[in-house]
Order: sequence, then C-alpha cells, then structure tokens
Amino acid sequence: MAAPNEDNLSSHSQLSSQFFGELLDSIIVDVASECHRIARLGLDRSLDDEEEELRLSAQARARVADPSSSGETTSKYVLDIFGQTHPPVANEIFDCMNCGRSIMAGRFAPHLEKCMGKGRKARLKATRSSTAAQNRYSRGNPLSNHSPSSNSNSMNRLSNGTSHVAGYEYSNGTIEEP
Amino acid sequence: MRSSVKRPPTPDAEEEEQDREPTLQEIINIKLVESGEKERLKELLRERLVECGWKDEMKTLCRAFARKRGRNNVTVDDLVHVITPKGRASIPDSVKAELLQRIRSFLASTAL
Repeated sequence: MAAPNEDNLSSHSQLSSQFFGELLDSIIVDVASECHRIARLGLDRSLDDEEEELRLSAQARARVADPSSSGETTSKYVLDIFGQTHPPVANEIFDCMNCGRSIMAGRFAPHLEKCMGKGRKARLKATRSSTAAQNRYSRGNPLSNHSPSSNSNSMNRLSNGTSHVAGYEYSNGTIEEP
Repeated sequence: MRSSVKRPPTPDAEEEEQDREPTLQEIINIKLVESGEKERLKELLRERLVECGWKDEMKTLCRAFARKRGRNNVTVDDLVHVITPKGRASIPDSVKAELLQRIRSFLASTAL
C-alpha cells in the first residue's frame, strides 16, 4: 500500500501548495487594498507631503504673480491664508472718543483729523475756544478785539496769515512789554 | 404584456446534473471553509507575515510605487501586481513550512 500512500502524499503536498498559494494571494490582495486606501486618502503623511506643499505653493505663487486674472474685479474678494475676505474699507462701527459720534473704522483717521484739529475747519472751531481761553489768561489782552478768524488764521496757517502772524506777534510783544 | 417578459426557464433540470464533477480541490476548499479552518489558516499566515516584517516590506513597496506614480493615480490592481512577485518570493521558509504542515494535517484529517 505504499504506492497509494505516496500518491496521496504527493497529491497532498501539491494540494497543500495550491491552498497555500491561494491563502497568500488573498493576503496580498488585502495588503494591496490597505495600501491603496492609505495612498488615496492621503493618510501616509510622508507620502507626498512635501511634494504637495511644493506644488501648492508654486500654484499660489503663480496666482499672485499673475496680475491679469485677479485684477480689478476680484481684488475685493482675494482670500487671505485663512480663507477670509476683507472689504477694502474696514466697516466696523464704534464711537469716537473725542466727539462721541458713531464712526466707521475705515473713516476714523480722516474723522479724527477734523475732530481733533489737524484740518483747517477743525482748527477754526477748536481755537475758537482755545483762543478764548488764551485771551482770558493774558490779562485783558486788547488783542481780544481782533476777530477770532484772524487769530485762528495767524495761529495756524502761515500761508493764510503770515502777515497776520507778524502783526500779531509784534503787537503782542509791544503790548506785553512794560 | 406577456411577450415583453422573457425569462429563461428555471434551470431545474440543469442543477441536478453538473457538467463536471467538483474537483478534489473544490471539495477540500469547501471543507476548509465550512470547518472554519481556512479562516484560521489565513489568520495564522497573516500573523506570521506581520511578525517577520513581510507586510512592512510590501507596504514600503506600495508607498514607493504610489509616490512615483502619484498618490491618486494608483489602483488596487497596480499594487497587487507590484507586490505579488516579490511577495511570493520573500516568504520565509519557516512560515511556509508551518502553513504547509497545517494544511497537510487538515487534509489527512478529512479522510480523503
């Protein structure tokens, strides 16, 4: 009965190898499927991390350097790195601490100019009160006869009131001298 | 109405006699599956291949291939073809021997 046993053995080993091959192929497919998933989902951080970053930054650079597409119309809607858009004029509203009015943030600087006295008209209304104070302090200054407009002009704008300034100063000096 | 429904006749007669006898391999395959031995064998093989680093080698091959081809241009089929030759060849002998031994003892136990 050795022959049938040998036959059995050889067929057994052949069958075994076949089954082993089948098992192995099945496991290979599993591994391939797993790696495919990792690749497609981008779960392997080192896979194309740097390549992706390089590509994206090259894209962004091209987009920035290209003035034609993002010219006039889309300049308002350009995204920053957080994906936010900002209007060209800041539109938050708050109260001016000087005059108490509601001011839009983007218009705050010009407002302050007028409100606190850098501008011409602002100086007018500001020094109306400040020269009044000055007049009080300088002991009945006869210069109070001068019209407020000429005073303020001479204080502020050399171009406007140069002659006035000269006149003012001299007259001031003259009168102050004992 | 009747003419639009065209179903093939139920293959009652054809089921009873098949064109060929199931091969020995098919019979054993069915026995392997039904007894749960196939699943156990597969898990054993998987475990051994992980332990000996075979799986990591295969994953590395896949990663390199994906990097070269571009991560989104890869199919499962590609990866199978990438792994199979190297995979089949790099099985450690001890692992192969262990599995073959187990399969053979199963074959013997099913009283062929």
